[in-house]
Amino acid sequence: MQAKAKKAKIQKQKFSWELMYRQRYLLLMSVPFVVWLFIFKYIPLWGWTMAFQEVKPATFSLSFFERTFVGFANFQKAFSDRIFAQTIINTIGTSILGIALGTISAIVFAVMLNEIRFMKFKKITQTISYLPHFVSWVVIASIAKMVCNDGGLLDRMTGRDLKLLSTNSVMIWVVICVINIWKEVGWDAIVYLSAMAGIDSGLYEAAKVDGANRLQRIWHITLPGIKPTIIVLLIMSIGSTLNVGMERQMLLSNAIVQDHTMVLSWFAYLRGIGNNNYGVGTAIGMFQSVVGITLLLIANKIASLFGESKLI
Amino acid sequence: MKMKKLMAMLLVASLTAASLAGCGNSSNDGASNSSSTGSSSTDGSSTDTSGSDTASGETSGTRIVPEGEELTLTFYSADGQEDPWTDPVALAITEATGIKLETDYPVGDDTERISLMIASGEYPDLIFAKGDAGSLIDAGALIDMTDLIEEYGPNIKKLYGEELGKLRYSADDPAIYQLSSYNVGGVSYKTAGTAQIQWDVLKENDYKIPNSLDEFETMLKDYLAAHPTTDDGYETIPLTLSTSDWHWMITFGNPAGYIGEGCPDNGEWLVNENSDGTYTAQFKYTSDKIREYFKWLSRMYDEGILDHNFATQSHEDYIAKIATGQVLALADADWDYNEAEQILKNDGKYGKTYAGLPLTMDANTKSHTLMYQGLTTGYGVGISVDCADPVAAIKFLDYMCTDEAQVLRWWGIEGVNYEVDENGVRYRTEEEITKSQTDTEYSKTTGVGFHGYPFPYYGDGIEDSTGSTYTTTSKESVIAEYNEEQKAACEAWGVELLTEIFPQPDEFETPPYSALWAYAKPNEFTEIESILDEIAWPALIKCVTDPVANFDANYDAMLADFEANGLAEAEAMLTEIIQEKVDMAEN
Repeated sequence: MQAKAKKAKIQKQKFSWELMYRQRYLLLMSVPFVVWLFIFKYIPLWGWTMAFQEVKPATFSLSFFERTFVGFANFQKAFSDRIFAQTIINTIGTSILGIALGTISAIVFAVMLNEIRFMKFKKITQTISYLPHFVSWVVIASIAKMVCNDGGLLDRMTGRDLKLLSTNSVMIWVVICVINIWKEVGWDAIVYLSAMAGIDSGLYEAAKVDGANRLQRIWHITLPGIKPTIIVLLIMSIGSTLNVGMERQMLLSNAIVQDHTMVLSWFAYLRGIGNNNYGVGTAIGMFQSVVGITLLLIANKIASLFGESKLI
Repeated sequence: MKMKKLMAMLLVASLTAASLAGCGNSSNDGASNSSSTGSSSTDGSSTDTSGSDTASGETSGTRIVPEGEELTLTFYSADGQEDPWTDPVALAITEATGIKLETDYPVGDDTERISLMIASGEYPDLIFAKGDAGSLIDAGALIDMTDLIEEYGPNIKKLYGEELGKLRYSADDPAIYQLSSYNVGGVSYKTAGTAQIQWDVLKENDYKIPNSLDEFETMLKDYLAAHPTTDDGYETIPLTLSTSDWHWMITFGNPAGYIGEGCPDNGEWLVNENSDGTYTAQFKYTSDKIREYFKWLSRMYDEGILDHNFATQSHEDYIAKIATGQVLALADADWDYNEAEQILKNDGKYGKTYAGLPLTMDANTKSHTLMYQGLTTGYGVGISVDCADPVAAIKFLDYMCTDEAQVLRWWGIEGVNYEVDENGVRYRTEEEITKSQTDTEYSKTTGVGFHGYPFPYYGDGIEDSTGSTYTTTSKESVIAEYNEEQKAACEAWGVELLTEIFPQPDEFETPPYSALWAYAKPNEFTEIESILDEIAWPALIKCVTDPVANFDANYDAMLADFEANGLAEAEAMLTEIIQEKVDMAEN
């Protein structure tokens, strides 16, 4: 964050060949990464051409020019799918809910950790809290199912039919979101914690002298101090609104709630790989990326309108 | 769909076995003839001292690669499980042919594995794709075996006999891409029927066989009232289902057809014979009788007879419930729940194991459980285009069809797993039978039956030249293996075989088309079918779990959804496919 502030002060230099020459070693050093980016991020984009072709098992092994071009038929097929509209709603809903609740809970957790003065306890709590991040969704999902399923631990503890994983409504978004928070909160809090570590401790001392209590110090120093970090992370997450991970959706889903758990990446997999119609799968994936980039640009613009540092 | 992932739950890959396979297996380069010499064949002969003399005496002609050499074929089996190829039967096969199999199997969804294979364009030498063969054939991944069988497959030809033609793909493309993974001919001596009920419940009802759903329901309710908990304190669950994944087709979809329509297994379809002798396919959930069955289930759910947690429980939960003995009745296939039944047997709770019933909706509906639907085609082992030595592969498949290999695969090793009496007839000792029934690892460690399915085999009850049956299952063996409950039931019903309470096979004609669920169908069709299933699965569960008052509205909504998503088109396509198969069979 501070590095960013410094960078803003440096005057932007105009492009010139002389400048290029002066920075030749820096440029040279960046070449491998540009090459890496090109090979792994841009060349695969060639595969997007499949979105405009009919690519099924029978035509898969054919070369690019031998396949039939079908224009936007694959897109049309995907968009007119019976579950497409619901899938979009689910994706956006799950995603926004996840971003909102996830960010708030991570910040609250980070603040709480930050306020702990007993270092040993703080370290242990932090370590335990981010452990689930490294555990596969398969394991998390089976634990979650034991707890939340019909007749599961929570049902038995409360003695009622909570139907946490069997109510076909937006409630399943919340349930999955909460499970996700349980898994990720410790990990997400790390970034905020490090941002908090960067806040000048003189500010806290001054506030203390002025008679600010703990809550006031959090509200007036800690939170404003991590605001740029929050904004940057929010912009990044808005760009990936449509990229809701499909593992957790698939693993926590069942026939009853599938209407509300289907998300775009799963849908692409189902219609693309599942039905052996790779063209349609690619079309959905492409749609996802294009919308993602658009959202990212919009979020970036909005952030700059509010006078915050731009991400790009 | 029936055998789909039968073994998939047995994914507990033992690390030791995996590492053994890793070390022992030097050549992994598909089907190159220059494979290194394996040391395992010598291990094989040391394991079975008595059997090896006879085996090696007869096998000189079956070697596919020269003595002292070994060839490893890679094999993908959709129903496979960890197979290090180290059991005695596997070693005997290698000794006879010089071929080793390196089995790969799916972890998770088997459909995805085939899709990924196609996407990557890399195939193992032998593929058993189950329901996804259509895609492989579309992708040109399987070779036509017709000429190879003609030249190198005398035993394949002998095994299939007249039914060999049924293996052909379609009228436009009469190639043989796969053998069949199911029995050729034979009789069913065992069946789990259309629904299953605990022997204890039957006993309380004086072995009355329910011949309608109402009677079935009364039996369950009466027993529940008398025994609200089991002796171990578990709550009695009268009926439960497994619907959290593809099992919904087995415990939820299939019984609806068997009980509602009394139909044989044609997957998601009913085949109606028209007055002019042609056939029409119907998506089975559009049948009124099947609708009635689901309505009954819905009422059972409301009344607390059907397990309230059935919709979210995983198949493992389902098995665990059955294994406690608390579930009175099932509507399942035997291979789907026998894991749980095995646990009950090991605990000696035979009364909590299940009797297969010829249950149907009403007395007028006849259960087709025992009908021989003809050779099941469409599921089977094929040779891929990536196989470097298709001749070796076909010779291997041919060897698997020989009498010698049939005995090896189903009976095991002479003197170890079975004996031969003075008349030359094979039999198994009491001890061996008990071991095979109670030891869950029996098949895996001895190899007996482990290499049976999905390679071609003769059906139960068919005899070879020695007068013994090819499989270990014969009328006598089945009767001999009955446990106390089954024996008591036979006595009560006055029958020799439990299957005698079912309508007998000779009451049915074998239809000219084979079971529809196994057909390798074109991609255009399966795409619509999978959407229809995708609609049916949650919708049917909703129909059942909603109060029965909403049933009709929910069911009609589902039917309308079918109409809007290609129902008519799919039915027309399948009708045409059936007609084509019928015509091919007649010519």
